[in-house]
This record gives sequence, C-alpha cells and structure tokens, in this order.
Amino acid sequence: MQAERRSVRIPFATQKHAMIAKQVIEVDSELQRHGVKRTLTVEGDDLLVTFTTLTIRLARLTINGFLENIDLVIRTISEFGDEAERQSHS
Amino acid sequence: MPGRHRKPSPLKVPDRPYLALGLEGSANKLGAGIIRHDKDGSTSVLSNVRHTYITPPGEGFLPRDTAQHHKEWALTVVQEAITKAGVSMHDLDCICYTKGPGMGAPLQSVALVARTLSLLFDKPLVGVNHCVGHIEMGREVTGAQNPVVLYVSGGNTQVIAYSRQCYRIFGETLDIAVGNCLDRFARVINLSNDPSPGYNIEQEAKKGKRLVPLPYTTKGMDISLSGILTSVEGYISDKRYHDGVHDETKKDDIITPADLCFSLQETVFAMLVEITERAMAHIGSKEVLIVGGVGCNERLQEMMGIMAQERGGQVFATDERFCIDNGIMIAQAGLLSYRMGHKTPMSESTCTQRFRTDEVHVAWRL
Repeated sequence: MQAERRSVRIPFATQKHAMIAKQVIEVDSELQRHGVKRTLTVEGDDLLVTFTTLTIRLARLTINGFLENIDLVIRTISEFGDEAERQSHS
Repeated sequence: MPGRHRKPSPLKVPDRPYLALGLEGSANKLGAGIIRHDKDGSTSVLSNVRHTYITPPGEGFLPRDTAQHHKEWALTVVQEAITKAGVSMHDLDCICYTKGPGMGAPLQSVALVARTLSLLFDKPLVGVNHCVGHIEMGREVTGAQNPVVLYVSGGNTQVIAYSRQCYRIFGETLDIAVGNCLDRFARVINLSNDPSPGYNIEQEAKKGKRLVPLPYTTKGMDISLSGILTSVEGYISDKRYHDGVHDETKKDDIITPADLCFSLQETVFAMLVEITERAMAHIGSKEVLIVGGVGCNERLQEMMGIMAQERGGQVFATDERFCIDNGIMIAQAGLLSYRMGHKTPMSESTCTQRFRTDEVHVAWRL
C-alpha cells in the first residue's frame, strides 16, 4: 500500500516562536483523522511538520490547509511579537 | 419575602479592575472587543471593533471564504481594539474566544489567533459559548433582571430562561434559524447583503402592502421555519408575482417582493412572539430580552412590545453594536466566567460547531 509522506520545514526567529506555533497548531486534530497522520516537532528554531496520507491529493489538501493556518500564526507573531517582548507596564 | 433565603451572588465585587479581550468569528462577522470590570462592580466597554464579510447579492457566505476573510482581517481588528481601548495586551487578565457554536473553519481561524496571543503574552484562554455571550451582553447593556430571552440570529433561534446556574432552552426552531430563513429569502429576491440581508428585508417589508397566506408553524414551545421558506419562495413562481416597476395607482392583483418580505416578517415574528409568550406564562416572567442579529429588527421589537405590554411587562433590546455578533460579548461572558475561576487549557482550546446553550455552567449567577 502506497503512502505519501511530505514534510514542511518552517524557520522562525527564535525557538520560542517555533514552540508557540507548534503548541497552537497541535491543538486541532486533522479533519480526516484516519486518512492523515501528522507529526509536529521543533528542531532548533525550525518547526518541522510531516504529513503521511494515502493519496497525493489528500497530501495537497492537507498541506494547503496547514499552510493557511501557519501563515496566520506567523503573521500574529510578527504583528505582536515585539510588543510581547517588551516588559509589561502598569 | 419572609422566610426567603437571601443568598449572596457568587460573583464578588472585584478587588481591582479586570480587563478581557474577546474574539468572535462564528459566522461572517469578525469582532474584537475589550471590556473592563471595575472595582465598584460596573462594566465598561473600552472598544468594540467589527468587520463583516459581505457577499454579493444572491450569494450566501461559505465556510472556506469566511475563514479566509477572518484570517485576513483578524490582526487589523485586534490591533484596532487594543488601540481604541488605550490598553496594552500585557494589561489583560484573559483572552476570550468563541468556542462555539458556529461554522468550523471560521471559528478555528479566530481560535488560532487567540491561542497565539495567549502564548505570546502568557495570558489564560477562556472559551466562550456564543449564545451565552449574547445573553450576558444583553443583560449587561439593558439591565434586565430575569427576563425570558429570545435569541434570534442567522444561526440560532431559541427561547431561553435562566434557572439554577443554567440557561435553559424552553423552545427553539426545529429546523432553520429565523435569520437564516430571512437571509435565504433575501438571496432569492436578490437583495443586497450590505449591511446585512436582514436589514434590507426589514426596509423592503416597510413598502409591503399585501399579506399573502403563509403557513403558521408553531409546534408547542418550538417553531418550524423551513416550510415557510419554501412557501414564500414559491410565490415567486406565482403568476401574480411582479418584480420591478409597476403603476401603483392601478389596482392590479399583483404580489411584489415587498409584499413577500412583509408577509414573511409578520408571520415568523408572530410565531416568535407566541413561543416567547408561552415561556413567559410558564415561568411567570414580565421581561423579554431580545438578543442576536434579528433582534435589531424594529418590527420584531414592536410586536414583542405589544405582547409584553398586554401582559404588564416590557421588552429589552440592544442596538446593532451589541445584537449583531461582536467581540465584546465574548469578552463579557468570558470575563464573568474567568472571575469565577474558569480557564480553558491550551489542549482543550478547540472549537465546536455544536455547543448547546444549556451545556454551560453559569457559575457567576445564583
């Protein structure tokens, strides 16, 4: 039985940001839990995600969905990251 | 009343101001709002920002495109809410987001932002039930003490009454929501979706002169709307249906889109008034609180007001800032929940399309 395995490596500015992205994405299970296996790991400052699917079509759909979501997370970190680093003021 | 236990409210007056950010995106409205609970027990709306995904006439909004809209606008709306409130993210006590009910992909888009902000700024997350958000904001804005709540929107139609830490559903739609019925009819007659199809139906209905026969389907405490939608859509194929300009002085036997809008509103609103009155009679309440997008409709408010007055009661309603989906209601319900010790762990910060109003433990009320 053929299985398609594809990985995406996304570099972040810091390991902390990569960890944040991992924690945010891993909350939601894949919509097709039986057709898609996902692993998320942080290597250095990178987020590495690997999808194993039965068909190439499912791999494409899954990765497209993932990229849309991770893009939102990245933009959120980009928009608010600096403010987050600053000390809180009362 | 002699012999009656006066238990104090479980929600204590805060020892310091509390601040919450609320994020909402269960349908086509994306909202962010910041609320403050003050030491004197009062509540202040610091900001309430919203951006609506409006589709062309004749089209509804689909999950994929709506989610895309929310992803596009989320950061702008959140930044604007923060700026308008004049606070910093660091000042917040918690970040509240809509856990459900609603459309899956749009809900998830907003949850992603909430989770990211939660981890960036180390703030607890609070998942909120959308319906409870509407109710709590309605209570806060109007000051209604213990009303029967009519929650009517594009996605929900419920008659709710509070009892023992639960918002109990007394009656509801058996099929589609009343807002959905109105919106889908607006699509069929090609009304604009700007600012909302419901608003345009309301304006069109004011020009209606003729009440066409439609089914009237109350089923005990519940209502059914899908048959009425089919029926009113059927009139478009009627040979008397006439869209476009006609000579108003000629007394032709015609049915205009305005007549259909008018007939549809009168019928479904009368049904809503009936099931609300049933609930009022059942629990002996004199107050009605209308929440949800359809609550903006002035004709519905008027009809409800007539019924309430006949019973010696009154109707409470909010304006479009609060009755249409918004972020501040999520902040309000979320902060009340948070102050009672409720938090949503990251691993549980999912979204769900089905989330019953009565599943929520209303810890902040007696």
